Amino acid sequence: MDPARNTDVVVDLEVNGRSEVRTVPARTLLVHFLRENLGLTGTHVGCDTTQCGACTVELDGVAVKSCTVLAAQAAGSTVRTIEDASASTDGGLDRVQRAFWDEHGLQCGFCTPGMVLAVRQLLRDNPRPTDDEIRHGIDGNLCRCTGYQNIVAAARKAAEAGPTMAKAD
Amino acid sequence: MYPAEFAYERPSSLDGVFTALQQNPGDAKLLAGGQSLLPMMKLRLATPAMLVDLAGAAELRGQWRTDSGVRIGALTSYRELQRSPRTLSLLPGLADTLEVIADQQVRARGTVGGALAHGDPTADLPALMLALDAEVRIRSRGGERVVALGDFITGIFSTDLADDDVLTAVDVPLPPPSTGAAYEKFEQPASHLALCGVAAALAIEGGTIQHARVAMTGVSATPRRLTTVEDALLGAAADPSSLDEIAALAPHGVEPLNDLHAPAEYRSHLLEIATRRALHRAAARAGMRWTE
Repeated sequence: MDPARNTDVVVDLEVNGRSEVRTVPARTLLVHFLRENLGLTGTHVGCDTTQCGACTVELDGVAVKSCTVLAAQAAGSTVRTIEDASASTDGGLDRVQRAFWDEHGLQCGFCTPGMVLAVRQLLRDNPRPTDDEIRHGIDGNLCRCTGYQNIVAAARKAAEAGPTMAKAD
Repeated sequence: MYPAEFAYERPSSLDGVFTALQQNPGDAKLLAGGQSLLPMMKLRLATPAMLVDLAGAAELRGQWRTDSGVRIGALTSYRELQRSPRTLSLLPGLADTLEVIADQQVRARGTVGGALAHGDPTADLPALMLALDAEVRIRSRGGERVVALGDFITGIFSTDLADDDVLTAVDVPLPPPSTGAAYEKFEQPASHLALCGVAAALAIEGGTIQHARVAMTGVSATPRRLTTVEDALLGAAADPSSLDEIAALAPHGVEPLNDLHAPAEYRSHLLEIATRRALHRAAARAGMRWTE
């Protein structure tokens, strides 16, 4: 590594409606930027290998795995995390979160932020999914408690509850 | 996990990309969607001193109808393709293939050019692109060249790309009219990568197969066409029993990978099954009708 080479980058982006600017090492992953630089710890690190989906966030309106995106790649973009999922509700839960609550779609809750954002993406793309389509839609998210049955039930219930309030991409 | 330290640049044009590559000869790596490269860097399997992010090069985005088919810009994501009805209608088998690549979050970031340039022997897209006779377009400071995908893939994670080359697009010619195509896959359940994937494209006239392309991925060191199967299909009767007989030839001449995910014998077995299923589905889509 050439010591003269600058390995820091300025990351300027919008997170949950707020403009944020930080100078960080270029190797900073978006998930660590959110958790450690911005203190938004609702986004979880599970497998850290692009498999479990616990780190899912919305990048320019589309669900992505933030352990596999550099903060530098997100510069200039808009990020939405689980902390903002219920922003359009009156201090409550959005319809996907409500459905997870009603259907007991979580136990330990570790995977839940990612699951909720994955289900929101699924429902934006396919507002009336079959159970098979729900299972396929969330196959980038792992849950080690529920056996998925109640997560699928929650996604089904959220679909029945009507269109998502989230912005389409 | 953190990747090893590196410098990062995001030039705003393809010219800027070439400049960045020229200024950092030999130790810069191109970054597209990052869905394969970043995991490798986190595991320190790749430790480039510099990443040149292609995201600012607008020249690499888009899908165009050409005289002979469709040109897909290298930075086109799987998700964008899934939402491009025109491309999907022109390229049989593409919708099938995209649907089973990784998961929705990865499809939102992963790109066509990245998948081909990475040279992963278990990636899905190369199988279909081989069955559709795709070519890759490669630019360097010195000019542009076009390489058949089968020649471009040279080994495990290795391709015909030089350090200062940029894969800019993939050209996919339209197959003969009424070609039906399908992609069948057995996946490694954690990574969703292919233990065995087979793409088949068939055109049938008067009950006889007139055009046949069959290609596989995940089974051996590189994705490649199954020419023994293709030769047997050409001119054969399009009926289920002859398709089954020909599918049994699929493992012929293939040296299967043998690793912790699957022993060689199992991969060979999957290859026959996936070939059979892909041929049946492609034939049905090409208009073959029969009663079982």
